[in-house]
Amino acid sequence: PALICRILPTRPDRRAPNSFPVSTATAPIEGEKAMTALKSLEQEFPLLDINFQSFCASHGILTIADFLTHDLHSLAAAAESQPASLRLKEGISQVLSIVDTLHQPWLDGLELLQDAMDNKRVLSTGIAAVDSFLHGGLRVGQLTELAGPSSSGKTQLCLRLASSVAKMDRGSVVYVDTGNSFSSRRIHHFLCENDDTGIVQRVMSRILRHSVFDINLLFNVLHQLEFVLGSQEYREGCKVQLLIIDSVSSLITPVLGGGSSQGYSLMTSLGVLLKKLAHEHDIAILVTNHMVSGERGNPKPALGESWKSIPHVRLLLSCNYETNTCNISTLKHPSLVSSPNSYMPKKATESFS
Amino acid sequence: MDPWKLPISSAIQRKRLLSQSYTSHASASPSDLACADRASDVIYLLLIEPQVITSKFSVFSFLFVIGAQNAWDILLEEESMTRITTSCAELDKILGGGISCKEVTEIGGVPGIGKTQLGIQLAVNVQIPSYYGGLGGKAIYIDTEGSFMVERVLQIAEACTEDMTEYGRFLGKSIQARQVEMGPKDFLENIYYFRVCSYTEQIGLENYLDKFISEHRDVKIVVIDSVAFQFRQDFDDLAQRTRVLSAMALKLMKLAKKFSLAVVLLNQVTTKVIESSFQLALALGDSWSHSCTNRLILYWNGEERYAYIDKSPSLRSASAPYSVTSRGIRNSSSNS
Repeated sequence: PALICRILPTRPDRRAPNSFPVSTATAPIEGEKAMTALKSLEQEFPLLDINFQSFCASHGILTIADFLTHDLHSLAAAAESQPASLRLKEGISQVLSIVDTLHQPWLDGLELLQDAMDNKRVLSTGIAAVDSFLHGGLRVGQLTELAGPSSSGKTQLCLRLASSVAKMDRGSVVYVDTGNSFSSRRIHHFLCENDDTGIVQRVMSRILRHSVFDINLLFNVLHQLEFVLGSQEYREGCKVQLLIIDSVSSLITPVLGGGSSQGYSLMTSLGVLLKKLAHEHDIAILVTNHMVSGERGNPKPALGESWKSIPHVRLLLSCNYETNTCNISTLKHPSLVSSPNSYMPKKATESFS
Repeated sequence: MDPWKLPISSAIQRKRLLSQSYTSHASASPSDLACADRASDVIYLLLIEPQVITSKFSVFSFLFVIGAQNAWDILLEEESMTRITTSCAELDKILGGGISCKEVTEIGGVPGIGKTQLGIQLAVNVQIPSYYGGLGGKAIYIDTEGSFMVERVLQIAEACTEDMTEYGRFLGKSIQARQVEMGPKDFLENIYYFRVCSYTEQIGLENYLDKFISEHRDVKIVVIDSVAFQFRQDFDDLAQRTRVLSAMALKLMKLAKKFSLAVVLLNQVTTKVIESSFQLALALGDSWSHSCTNRLILYWNGEERYAYIDKSPSLRSASAPYSVTSRGIRNSSSNS
């Protein structure tokens, strides 16, 4: 079979409007371009005619994504035996050159720093000790996990964070509640400490609560959010700054294990989706996790080994009932030193009232 | 609108749509869109009428369509919601008025502390009519151990009726003129009783509850006594037990939210061995402890029975004494 040659692309500009040609009026969202059907490219690239499309369809290739996962050499070999083989092979190299335009533009270090300073802010949690421990708070663009035993204050920290971010007035908060533990009374209490009622009502209307009791529904909600955040109208509307999922472990635990790997793949794809949402749309994401007993009876965070690599930051919360204080420590953090073996409290100790 | 842009979870669904080259012919009005209470319905409607969505949808209106509420509206709703009294003023005080609807409350304690008594009291108290400050609803009592004694329920119902008439007399209301007075037999009639004898029956019943409550919309409390009993035997594979229990917990949460009722789970205790010392802990393990919204621990303090709020998103940790009398759960005798 003839060699398929590919042309190296020039560097595309990140901020330029999407010039990818599609038959309908609006352009596809970045990252979804691979799902473009071959059919829709016919208008722009006449090489990809109906003959080419039916040849690809006979190999189960309907979109560009299918094209990428298929073995190209065997496809070229199959094209060889077809009547219009040269044209088919030209079609294949045409698709490959389209593929080369689809990748995300790259950034150099300075641009990354600029993006970090402009968009990837740090969100204060509302508790001074936790903020100083985390060097400011939760970072936008990162997925943070908060693990802790039952009634150690995870939900309280989430509610505190939600009210603190809503008060900042830079965006809205989406709170996904899986255990009916969203307490608007508590949020009202946090906000009423300083402000009067008129402002409180406006701030509280920026916090949206979803009740989700199924992992598939969670995917639906996240896809909806992704869709809305990517649309034109959103840019004029109110920005989402923070997404809290309390708790993600109660949704994943029923599907994890049991011989089938579907649970693990759901968990991993959830992690991928959350990190993508966080990075592309400048959102800070906080998820809570519960504890299970590990070796020698010591508790460890649930969801197992595969989950450990998914969040950017992993925090451990523990509560001391006698002294009524909570301790927070890091299990994993990109810029703080954490101790992997011991669960001793680190620097911050503060009491929840 | 192009199918490949749509937020459809499964890649397989998307491919199916593409291979059938979906075209839109039907039309849906915005009111249809607003009535869709499942996210997947909205996506389906999106397929059909794209221009409804692409015109003027901000984040809030879009998220409202798929069932989100903002915190202020939730606050107003919560403040107007009646709670189920426990008939013990001290206990009601630490609970902020009583057991709240739309939440799953777990009550755990050693045997003999009065968990079943409290469960029966709540099943009776939920029926107190609204003109006496109650919910006027019906109760579902799921018995896994066989500790439901009908004679005791009758006794508690009689005491409740007497209390109601005395309360009515105290307020000077001429209730008899307006409403039909509830008798003890009416109380019994409004409790739907299910007896389960194995964990499969329990899971099957919980699946059936959704349909049952859709047909009996005035049910306002579901008491499960006790949730642990059937799961402590017969399970060799503890990982499977965890999965089954967490799925059950999610279903109960969904039930509580969907029908605005209270779910009360009564749990047993077990001993936990930690480094050669014994400790009492609630049954069903660590992962189950995350499956409730509120948790109440009942314990003995000397000769007195006490209740302690162990977990709550909005209530402060506090203890309150109570007593079990022939009339049901009442205030502790030493205080009153």
